[in-house]
Amino acid sequence: MKPLEIPTFQPRLKVLNRDQALAIHAAALEILDKTGFKMEHPGARKMLADAGCRILNNDWLRMPSYLVEEALRSAPTQITLYDQMGNKTMPLANGNPFYGTGSDATFTLDLETGVRRRAVKKDVENFARLVDGLENIAFAMSMSNPEDVPIEHIYVYVFAEMVKNTNKPIVFIADSGKDIAKIYDIACQVAGSEDALQRKPFILNYSEAISPLRFPENVMERLMFCAEKKIPVCFPSGSNAGGGAPVTLAGAMALGIAENLVGLVVHQMVGKGSPFLFGPNVSILDMKSSVVSYGCPEWSLTQAALADMRDEIYGLPIWAYAGASDAKVMDAQAGAEAMFSIITALLSRSNLIHDVGFLEYGSTSCLEMVCMANELISMSRFFAEGIPVTDQTLALEAIERVAKGEPGSIFLTDDHTFENFMQSLFLPKILDRSRYDSWKSAGAMDFYMRCNLEAKRILSEHQVVPKPDEVIKKINDILQDL
Amino acid sequence: MSDLKALNEAVIKGDIQTALMLTQNAMDAGKKAHEVLDQGLIAAMDQVGDKFAKGEMFVPQMLRSAKTMQECVKLIKPQFQEGDFKSKGKVVIGTVKGDLHDIGKNLVAMMMEGAGFTITDLGVDISADTFVQKVQEVEPDILAMSALLSTTMPGMRETIETLRKAGIKDKVMVMIGGAPVTANFASEIKADAYAPDAGSAVIEAKKVLGIS
Repeated sequence: MKPLEIPTFQPRLKVLNRDQALAIHAAALEILDKTGFKMEHPGARKMLADAGCRILNNDWLRMPSYLVEEALRSAPTQITLYDQMGNKTMPLANGNPFYGTGSDATFTLDLETGVRRRAVKKDVENFARLVDGLENIAFAMSMSNPEDVPIEHIYVYVFAEMVKNTNKPIVFIADSGKDIAKIYDIACQVAGSEDALQRKPFILNYSEAISPLRFPENVMERLMFCAEKKIPVCFPSGSNAGGGAPVTLAGAMALGIAENLVGLVVHQMVGKGSPFLFGPNVSILDMKSSVVSYGCPEWSLTQAALADMRDEIYGLPIWAYAGASDAKVMDAQAGAEAMFSIITALLSRSNLIHDVGFLEYGSTSCLEMVCMANELISMSRFFAEGIPVTDQTLALEAIERVAKGEPGSIFLTDDHTFENFMQSLFLPKILDRSRYDSWKSAGAMDFYMRCNLEAKRILSEHQVVPKPDEVIKKINDILQDL
Repeated sequence: MSDLKALNEAVIKGDIQTALMLTQNAMDAGKKAHEVLDQGLIAAMDQVGDKFAKGEMFVPQMLRSAKTMQECVKLIKPQFQEGDFKSKGKVVIGTVKGDLHDIGKNLVAMMMEGAGFTITDLGVDISADTFVQKVQEVEPDILAMSALLSTTMPGMRETIETLRKAGIKDKVMVMIGGAPVTANFASEIKADAYAPDAGSAVIEAKKVLGIS
């Protein structure tokens, strides 16, 4: 009889025990039940009141826990995103991790000059095309707040630009119920029909409440629109420690989760079973500069904790961040911070991981940084796969062949090496391991320069499968009619 | 004088109880309200400002110092003579229409208050008409507007235009800030000053008013 295979342990990070997870959840429920929240959307307010929330005064409500329990029961535990050709590329379930870029950076580091400048529409195109060409970047966000499009329709324009330049799934932002309808029209054109988009969604809306506990009307409009149309949505308020939330991480998490749960309850009431990606953004307000940090260990820690809470309590796929930095240029700090969040997000099995490629606490986008992150994700992915232990990998026969073989036998020439090195080793593409002299003669380039060349190479060589002419025409018509 | 030195220390430490006690002691010992204010409290806050700018103090510590000073001012206020308390300037502040994010705006307001400005905080989601109406009412030296969302930035331009139409654009310095706001945008919409963060808001405010 064949011996049983030894299962491979895949390293996994845990940062909360069950008691901690339950206590944070209980605190979130207590916030909703005792403190309450400010719901500024009249329709949502009425719906919540009819369902059993108590109205304190005007728009301040308190929510009983059973509404949360009901919503958690009806929300799907798996959300699948498709690419724009209808291929299933992002099954967000269990511990599947997918990385992507971020949205709304005001500035970008110019690829040619390296100088920080205001973002323009062309940058949206470049980031979308780069994402399309990188194997570890699964979805696109705009990375830009372009100054050369009409600001009142900015999100419709950046969405159209992304659709024209990538076929990967898109996480998008909208301002209100009005522009999200236009974006939805564009998405339907790409998918073929409303029904096709619902069956194979390639879009996910990012929307957020305002911490602490404030739910503006336009935010709820978007959330309810998505619930109705079954557009997958995430709703992570910025309950940043010391900013929108208490400075202690447990309290900041409890507050962010409470806010997320309000979103989930309304969402499930409007569209029972519509997909909702769970999780707040719990970073910190830096106590010197008062920026919200994108490179701090706290954010990685809270999202690892959230992954534990998903496993212990919620069961819903979660929202996360990684691959960003507070550094102003793509320097050693940028590399260190990006790697820290990338590997911890993977080891804690976060699901949808955004903000890859941000510098300057999310204010500046950087194409080279996305290329770097792509490589760091490969590296992390390799680590997280663990060490398969089989007859083939124990390689006792190879050891015997080489050790007892002809004089001069080495593993490098053995067939076992030839047959196994590709899958056994991590083979870097941009990380440099060359010998000093060859590094020097190749131009003595640092990592930033090599990532710059890689970004330029992809942008000049990678072909994005073009959308049919009639789809492009319809998108342009929608933009014309704005 | 030595007890005012101790008061300086207490304000810098943000030790409200001790600062109040030392303020009371100084008054009991016959110090004038303006001496306590200038040498005890404002001198301490100047040091706090320096330390913060050098990265030797954190935001919550600085805010606690400002709070300590305010508590002490409350205590000596009844003793103020005409002209003892000179405001650095009047500021009307708020976030623009459609923008409900107010952490940054609140921080700016607190820091400016700590630096000696008199603040009228209108809160969030303020329309151009309301800003202009308040400017007419309060007659501030500075109108400060904040936006976190790029989609609400046009509210700043609109407010400046409304000020111009009302014929009072030249009567007030307009200062803007917030994550998506840039110096270029500020000059494009003809704002008088731009501050990328709360610390520089104080510096810029002093600069446009020509005070140190």
